[in-house]
Amino acid sequence: MKYLYILVIVAIAFSSCEKDDICDTNTPTTPRVIIDFYDATNPTVLKNVVNLKVIGDGLADEDDLGTFNSVSTIKLPLKTTLNSTKYRLILNSTSTTSINEDLLQFDYSREDIFVSRACGYKTIFKLNSPNGVTQTDPTLADGFWIQEYTIETTNIDNENETHIKIYF
Amino acid sequence: MKHILKYIFSFLFVLISVLGQAQVTSKKDSIPVKKERYGVRFGVDLFKLSRSFYEKDYRGLEVVGDYRLTRKHYFAAEIGNENKTVDDDRLNFTTKGTYVKVGFDYNTYQNWLDMENMIYVGLRYGVSSFSQTRNSYKIYNPNPYFGEELTLISEKKFNGLSAQWLEVVVGVKAKLFNNVYAGFSFRLNRLISQKKPENFDNLYIPGFNRTYNGDFGVGFNYTISYFLPLYKSTVKVKEKKKK
Repeated sequence: MKYLYILVIVAIAFSSCEKDDICDTNTPTTPRVIIDFYDATNPTVLKNVVNLKVIGDGLADEDDLGTFNSVSTIKLPLKTTLNSTKYRLILNSTSTTSINEDLLQFDYSREDIFVSRACGYKTIFKLNSPNGVTQTDPTLADGFWIQEYTIETTNIDNENETHIKIYF
Repeated sequence: MKHILKYIFSFLFVLISVLGQAQVTSKKDSIPVKKERYGVRFGVDLFKLSRSFYEKDYRGLEVVGDYRLTRKHYFAAEIGNENKTVDDDRLNFTTKGTYVKVGFDYNTYQNWLDMENMIYVGLRYGVSSFSQTRNSYKIYNPNPYFGEELTLISEKKFNGLSAQWLEVVVGVKAKLFNNVYAGFSFRLNRLISQKKPENFDNLYIPGFNRTYNGDFGVGFNYTISYFLPLYKSTVKVKEKKKK
């Protein structure tokens, strides 16, 4: 009888064994597209953008990803549920005269890769080749501010390297 | 770590109770020729059995057995089957499979008179054959700008998986009455090898239990077993003198 009592206590002591792990933020998971900006007149030199407002196409103007200033690199999240993501890139967005909007569309295929118990899966992307990135202009009169772009790699599987270079 | 402490605490609890009972037993001045019983013991893991009733995502059964080889040594084995569905924050999967563990136990407890209790340490080699079914998963996206946080239901079954491991066992077995024993054991497991599913992982292995980032795991069982005596053997005088 004494044993039965003890064993009940033991059973209770073990009844609460379950998970407590959280995905470490340093774990490489779903990557963003890394875009570096270069000077079109001097293509080896990085150039900082000025008031570059980035908005996911189809989203409201106030739901922008951010307005980038004095940086030469931006990181754009891609949709993990569709094979295409379009962004509005508005240069000099605070200016009334030199404001210029270009659209960049990314077309890709997706793959879900297992990471860990705590993180689950991540999505990695492979840009279509050719035509992984398409540039369009909503207001044709002002022309493109992006003079040229190059796809450095079609495999977007980490955030450690530049995927696309933009010259302006 | 908190859970490991719980294991140790519970184990000590049982251990103390066994020792406690030993103190109560009355001593005799002279002991006639001492005979000890040898035989096989069969039992079942009550924890797995009871869990199958109260946990709807779990079905499991483990049959245990040991055979007394010498005064101190026992051949021991466990055979079991588990069907467990784990519902984590980011993953939901089902593991099904069968396992076998074989090894030995060494009884460190000096029984008084005709007591037949055990406080033992042991070693097991475990092998498991199982399948994993990934029921659903989530994509971890640290930058959900487009707001998607969907659970993707994409059932995928991975068959023909296997694992091998070693277990260090510490446990107690105490006679409740006649030939019926209650036992408790705690196990520390270390994976030797495993066959992992492609683009997934063995997050649970039948018999080994939950896997962690390293190769280690823990387990325990709480058994009730029946001893089937086969023969008796006289304890050698030399051994008695040592006491």
